[in-house]
Amino acid sequence: MSDKPLTLYGETFHSRLLIGSALYPSPSIMQSAVKASGAEIITLSLRRQGPGQEAGAAIWQAIKETGCKLLPNTAGCRTGKEAINLAEMSRELFQTEWLKLEVIGDDYSLQPDPFGLLEAASELITRGFKVLPYCTEDLILCQRLRDVGCEVLMPWGAPIGTGLGLLNPYHLRMLRERLPDLPLIVDAGIGAPSQAMEAMEMGFDAVLLNTAIAKADNPVLMAEVFRNAVAGGRHAYLAGLMLPQQTASPSTPTIGMPFWHQHKSNNSQ
Amino acid sequence: MVTSFTMKSDLHIGIAGGGLLGRICAWRLAMAGYQVTLFEQGEFSTPLAAGWTAAGMISPLSELEAAEPLVFHMGMEGLCQWPAWIEQLTKQTKRDVGYREQGSIIVAHRLDANALLQFHQRLTRVLQDARPRENTPELTQKYSRIQESKWLHSDDIHSLEPHLTGQFQQGLLLQPEAHLHARDFLDTLLTALSRLGVQLLDQLQVDCFPGEIRSAQHSGKFDWVIDTRGTGAKLQLDGLRGVRGEVLIVETDEVRLNRPVRLLHPRYRLYVVPRRNQQFIIGATEIESEDYSPISLQSHLELSSALVAVNPAFAEARILQTATNCRPAYIDNLPKVKVVPGLITANGLFRHGYLLAPSVVSKILKPIEANATVRNDKQACSRLEVTNDNR
Repeated sequence: MSDKPLTLYGETFHSRLLIGSALYPSPSIMQSAVKASGAEIITLSLRRQGPGQEAGAAIWQAIKETGCKLLPNTAGCRTGKEAINLAEMSRELFQTEWLKLEVIGDDYSLQPDPFGLLEAASELITRGFKVLPYCTEDLILCQRLRDVGCEVLMPWGAPIGTGLGLLNPYHLRMLRERLPDLPLIVDAGIGAPSQAMEAMEMGFDAVLLNTAIAKADNPVLMAEVFRNAVAGGRHAYLAGLMLPQQTASPSTPTIGMPFWHQHKSNNSQ
Repeated sequence: MVTSFTMKSDLHIGIAGGGLLGRICAWRLAMAGYQVTLFEQGEFSTPLAAGWTAAGMISPLSELEAAEPLVFHMGMEGLCQWPAWIEQLTKQTKRDVGYREQGSIIVAHRLDANALLQFHQRLTRVLQDARPRENTPELTQKYSRIQESKWLHSDDIHSLEPHLTGQFQQGLLLQPEAHLHARDFLDTLLTALSRLGVQLLDQLQVDCFPGEIRSAQHSGKFDWVIDTRGTGAKLQLDGLRGVRGEVLIVETDEVRLNRPVRLLHPRYRLYVVPRRNQQFIIGATEIESEDYSPISLQSHLELSSALVAVNPAFAEARILQTATNCRPAYIDNLPKVKVVPGLITANGLFRHGYLLAPSVVSKILKPIEANATVRNDKQACSRLEVTNDNR
């Protein structure tokens, strides 16, 4: 099945599954799972890793060895200012302008703070960062993020680590329809491969997840399953999904029923 | 295999690293009659070892939450060894190191109830085909005790742990699991070592080579060198890293716990382990960072709030100490014992020091014992020849 590659900030990728690097039983299982997932972009956190002293060097090295493009995140930041400081540090450490911007507004749900996020995104873009903001599925927020220069948005499916899937398919669908040309990646909340597939069938450009793979009994096998689910969902979208109908519609005409009766029964719906 | 004191005393073993592994090896070897010298980079009374900061849990089932099945099997083997070691050590020193086999209790908040279900699902999967790696009666008996693990409802939780807050509707009792007072154990071992005549050299940074331990000023020759330096061996061992962990030690008269309690949470793994004198150790964060600086406020908040969730009366506990250390780990988070003639390197016990120590120590001692047996046989042969000549 031919598909155009995923293009983010001018760079192209063949995999539409982005993967996180935390929570695995060990770094070596993380490396095997990333390989099995086929992911080309990997997120990594540095807020708690002592970035000033490069104390996380060992795990960063293990992540670099996956060969994936690094997408440092600002997980754990609660204000825009904190996120901006960390972004500068990560640009220096990893020699990349790419940044998954997280500004957390609520500790328990880890829900993004839309106001802090927009402010930080705007500032970081003027400083030359390529910002991939982790946001809610709110249309207006997404439009504003696009307007300040974000070329990719990452709306949540559900709160981080919950595995609840796409909690608000109505809004997600609307977002896809209203921002048809902006790459949209469903980030967080995906627990099952079927949920990743659902997001891809809706026409989202990619899916980012971590816990569902890392905390599986067999992370490497689960990574492979997600790889297939994301590819399957993408192919389903490209192939053109049928729309659900309220009535049964036989694929061959009902023999013996007069034409006008068929018409009448349809009208009566 | 160890036959008598006198036949071994000519073998001199140098051990670098006075933490958990180093002290146990020194103790076992000194008791078997070897001449032992133990080196420590810090002070023996407050070593830099990860095992000094640890809570001292020996919990093969609980660790399955994140660890691989191999860790569970090695841990079950460890549980067979610990009671005998503790009995010997207590006899030698007349000190109680707080070793208790009471199992552990695992609970989760109502909101995180699925974390408990998920953990149970994983346990069930791993344990359904779990067979001992060796067919000894002790090991078979330990594995059969897994059957004593069970779901607990609030009444059961209350009868086992009356001071656990009533908000936990469900929990798991895991058996067989044990815990000890890590610092008391290491202190007591030190006492035993000095009585056994082990040469103890601390505040010395050393490097290990086959048959040789070197410091900046000195060099010592040994028949065998054992390198148990943990993260201290980082410059000499490829692929070894430190994983930061932080703990709180608190004291309160208001709460009593009989056994370790673990609180499951989607993002954290936290436990409370009771210690003597109404003290409790709460741990531990797991941060992929080789950072020995003091505990962060964030971690302090996480650990404290877990503690208050276990029982609100902990809010008035007094914080005696916070401690930070880094666990030595290889990339697969599994331990490794490497043997070349004259040098045995053991490292990477990660967060499972007390759980895995018996299994790792037996691997370390094997080549030395085998080597000693060969020597003894040779000595025995030569004595035999002499006897023949005399005839």
